[in-house]
Amino acid sequence: MARKAKRDRTVEEQLAHGPVDMPFLMLVLMLTVIGVVMVFSASYATALYDAKTAHNDPTYYFVKQAGFAVGGVLALYIVTKIDYQSFRWMSVGVLAASYVLLLLVFTPLGFGKATVGAQRWLKLGPINFQPSEIAKIGVILYFSARLCKRNTEKPKKLDPRSNLSGPIAFLRRIGFTELIPYGMILGSIAVLMLMEPHLSGTLLILLGGAAVLFAAGIRLQWFGVGLGGVAVLLLLMMAGYQSDRIKIWLDPWADPRGDGFQTIQSLLSIGSGGLLGVGLGKSRQKFDFLPEPENDYIFAIVCEELGLVGACVILFLFALLILRGFWIAIHARDRFGALLVVGIMTQMAGQVFLNIGVVTNLLPPTGISLPFFSYGGTALLIQLAEMGMVLSVSRQIPAAKSG
Amino acid sequence: MKNDKKRQKPDRNTNRTVLRRTLFLMAMCGVVSFVPLIYKLYDLQIRQHDELQARALDQQTWDQAVTADRGTIYDSKGTPLAMSAEAYYIQLSPNEILQRQKEYDDKVAKAGEESDPEKRAKKMPSYDKPTSESIAQHLAAILDLDEADILKRLAKTESKYEIIKTQVERETADQVREYASGNGLSSGIYVQPSSKRYYPNNSLAAQVIGWVQYEDNSASHGAYGMEAIYDDELGGKVGRVVTAKTGKGTQMLYRYEDYEDAVDGNDLHLTIDATIQYYCERILAEGIEKFDVQNGGFAIAMDPKTGAILAWANSPTYDLNTPRTITDPILKAKLEQIQNSNATDEEKSQQSTELLYDQWSNKAINEPYEPGSTFKSMVLAAALEEGVVNENSSFYCSGVAKVADWSIRCSKRTGHGAQTLAQAVANSCNPAFIAIGQKLGAEKFYDYLEDFGFLSQTGIDMMGEPAAPNYNIIWPRDRFTSANGLTNLATASFGQRFKVTPIQLLTAASSVVNGGHLMKPYVMDSITDADGNVIESTEPTEIRQVISEQTSERCRSILEGVVKPPGTGKAAYVAGYRIGGKTGSSETDAKDHTIVSFLGFAPANDPQVIVLLAYDNPKPVAPGANVTAGGWYISGGNMAAPQAGKLLTDILDYMGVAKQYTDEEKAVMDMPVPSLVGMSLTDAAARLKENGLDVRTEGEGDTVTAQIPAAGVSIPGGSKVILYMGAEKPTDKVAVPNVVGLSRTQAQEAMTSAGLYLKSTGLTIGSDVKAESQGIASGTEVERGTVVEVHFIQSTSSGGAGTGL
Repeated sequence: MARKAKRDRTVEEQLAHGPVDMPFLMLVLMLTVIGVVMVFSASYATALYDAKTAHNDPTYYFVKQAGFAVGGVLALYIVTKIDYQSFRWMSVGVLAASYVLLLLVFTPLGFGKATVGAQRWLKLGPINFQPSEIAKIGVILYFSARLCKRNTEKPKKLDPRSNLSGPIAFLRRIGFTELIPYGMILGSIAVLMLMEPHLSGTLLILLGGAAVLFAAGIRLQWFGVGLGGVAVLLLLMMAGYQSDRIKIWLDPWADPRGDGFQTIQSLLSIGSGGLLGVGLGKSRQKFDFLPEPENDYIFAIVCEELGLVGACVILFLFALLILRGFWIAIHARDRFGALLVVGIMTQMAGQVFLNIGVVTNLLPPTGISLPFFSYGGTALLIQLAEMGMVLSVSRQIPAAKSG
Repeated sequence: MKNDKKRQKPDRNTNRTVLRRTLFLMAMCGVVSFVPLIYKLYDLQIRQHDELQARALDQQTWDQAVTADRGTIYDSKGTPLAMSAEAYYIQLSPNEILQRQKEYDDKVAKAGEESDPEKRAKKMPSYDKPTSESIAQHLAAILDLDEADILKRLAKTESKYEIIKTQVERETADQVREYASGNGLSSGIYVQPSSKRYYPNNSLAAQVIGWVQYEDNSASHGAYGMEAIYDDELGGKVGRVVTAKTGKGTQMLYRYEDYEDAVDGNDLHLTIDATIQYYCERILAEGIEKFDVQNGGFAIAMDPKTGAILAWANSPTYDLNTPRTITDPILKAKLEQIQNSNATDEEKSQQSTELLYDQWSNKAINEPYEPGSTFKSMVLAAALEEGVVNENSSFYCSGVAKVADWSIRCSKRTGHGAQTLAQAVANSCNPAFIAIGQKLGAEKFYDYLEDFGFLSQTGIDMMGEPAAPNYNIIWPRDRFTSANGLTNLATASFGQRFKVTPIQLLTAASSVVNGGHLMKPYVMDSITDADGNVIESTEPTEIRQVISEQTSERCRSILEGVVKPPGTGKAAYVAGYRIGGKTGSSETDAKDHTIVSFLGFAPANDPQVIVLLAYDNPKPVAPGANVTAGGWYISGGNMAAPQAGKLLTDILDYMGVAKQYTDEEKAVMDMPVPSLVGMSLTDAAARLKENGLDVRTEGEGDTVTAQIPAAGVSIPGGSKVILYMGAEKPTDKVAVPNVVGLSRTQAQEAMTSAGLYLKSTGLTIGSDVKAESQGIASGTEVERGTVVEVHFIQSTSSGGAGTGL
């Protein structure tokens, strides 16, 4: 379609062409660059000693990650250009796609069972990715799109003669009926995810969805019910393979060569960093001590190389990014934008908290990546695309009334 | 409008709710959630930093000890007695070997994927799979180890540090290295440098030098002797190399290395002189064989003026290079006996170990013994110093002395009769010394025991000096000076019924002859660093002056008399060297077990060296007999004295001490025969007279045409040189007569009548001698005028077991 001249734009279109939020964009780019650099540093030794996939090329992971980062920034740019109002209708498609992909994981297209014991990945053509990444944003998009209309939708009139009208009216009054679709969506996705199993991903999806529900004004008691449900779920899972994780968490030194190994190596990495770190690229723990240093535990290498100071600077950037994201949410043009951004930012904050919590053994170990840092091309790409959505929302923020 | 209001109101409320909740989430996500994270990071990176860093470094680094070169031990002339040389130890890293084996499998698997057989062959490793079994087999063969044991070590796949053999020679180490590199095990089997101790003189001064014990981790420490006493100085400081390594144990990419240099040990210079040491050991071994000695013995040589130990020999002894091998013939026989006995293996190994302790034992300091008559030197010195006797004192010996209710017999049952002090000493007369002891009195006597250092350690820098005083082997003062102590005083006067260590005795005796100075004996002369700078050195230390210079001089002259006929020590006499000394025969608790000894010093006017030589337990030919199977009378004078005489001659010759001949000695000294052919008779006779030689002529000519013996041959002074004045010089050969057993005069006559010359060795003065051996066997055809050496010994025996001589 031909590009319209500025003056021919509708009000809607004019709004969608506002400036992106520069502080947010800058923070995203800074974290991306730092993240890619850290992937280079952290993966250096792994790649060097890996003859099979990396062919002993120390830049192997770096080049791939950098490529995806460029692609991700491109995706971010494209998404930024899209009027986020169109995400409303897209959301249904994304959610539907999430289901399809999550189901596909259990077909021969999925993999991961053999290597990490969990069927989390999907191989579609040349790219491998976790469908949960799509589901994460899908849930948020769909919930935001639906919940923003919460106050304007008129509930269906009940047939007073029906026997059920009494209980239904009660359920409505306490706000239960409106939760049914959301509960079903979250529940079904959680079941699919836990079948992989993918606990941390499930938690993040639940967190994203809950954040949107929370911000949209759902009665607080339902969160109590939700939290209780999650807690019961977690307790039930303790019995299985998760229970070992708790033991490791409480005392990683009990089995330093076995289950506690990764945690211990992570703590050693962080601890040896000290205040100022051993210097960029000079981590010793990445030399076959800390397993997969470029992945979930990359922040341990960051701590070792850059010290407490470096780690805090990065955490500060994350904090600024999150705060700025919420600032965008607050100033968003409409509720859909606000909820969307709240969902994305809360989910990201949760992911940062969980990752660093695991790496520092504040939380029991679980496989969760650090946004912008952990090696994983598609995850980074999707991450940047989500940031693009936030920026897209930021473009429609009404200019501050001057004077 | 109404409708609008209805719609707007809840929306505004909702807006407020949304804003409130968003702000809440904002605070939670953007601020609150970071607080525990940052706290946790602070906890790990600051508070637990040191501990975690140490743990991390521990796993990231490869800490290897670098052995320091152990210092060399030199004798006083700079001859190395103990030195270190390069050696290796073999270390396995089962963990890495396992990885090498896995890599091998990977390689084979990869090669198997290759379809082209040529390429496949190329990709296949060039060697067979290094299975644990094959590694164990090869290493066991190279290193002479147990295969099963190596397998056991290889099974410890968590370990990276299994030392399987230390002290490996270079050649063997090279073989191991070659095997490792040829089988892809260079990272897995390590050949690490260390050092090995060599003792170039094998058994020389074994108990003094000691040896080094190697531990599993290639560290070493001195186990005995100087190696143990000066272990810190000799050992140096072990260094470290810290190398960064990866989790798989390979070298890390970074050259992260930290060195802590090994500091080589310092060198030790001993006062021991290897040559004198050799003389002592030779004389000790010779006597042990000659006299059928059962329990070995010792010989110590010391500089009496300084206390510096010149030699310190023990028997039995062993090769320092193989300290756990028994080489002494007597101990070997015992070992065989143990092995052939029907004791259990445990008992056998325990008994064998005891034999090892026997050979490692340093008798001359570890084992106190009854000094016997050698102790009389100290009693004499004390009595002279206190003025209770003098050279004019006379003593009467009836052959027995009564003390309290006890009768104490003298060695000469018939008694020595009336004697001067010097004679009493020369006779080693027990009743005379009992009298001297009584004159001194118990209190004074005991004071001198203390002053001569018999109640304290000498303080020598040698291992195993027994704690002193030990009242189980020497009386406490109250038991000595009490009324009941009379017999104690009596037996102490001739050196019996108490025990001292040989070094205590020698130190005390030194003070008797060196002017009265009790010196602290020492073995370490100095310690130098690698550049030769002296770090520490021993200065002679005088503990106290026990007697005066004058008393010491009187003692020397009286003790010199012991070594002149008819003194008990006359067998130690050597012409030209003024030897003084005292014989001793010590009883022990066991029956038929005597320790014969001789304490000697020379020159008597200015002692340069003092020796104490003892043989422990010469075997009597039959129980209760006082001679050995070889016919040797068991006494210090008959056994230790002649050996000590030879020893002192060797030492004094070596030390270059000038000979001083008395006129009597000069008379029988060898003189070189000048060349006289062509001279007139008068000239020749005059010339011979100058050399103290006599003349006999054959023929009537004016000039000397030939002579016997030829010019340059040395013959005893006073012998006749035959000058042929034109007469034919006979060229026929003569047979050497048998002179063994003859007296000197008889031997002289036999030689002269055969046309031969006699040269006396051994006891060259005095008439109470007999020929013990001759240099040229009887019946041998020799040229006329040949000099035959004949060794004389005393013909009568005196002193002996049980008499304290």
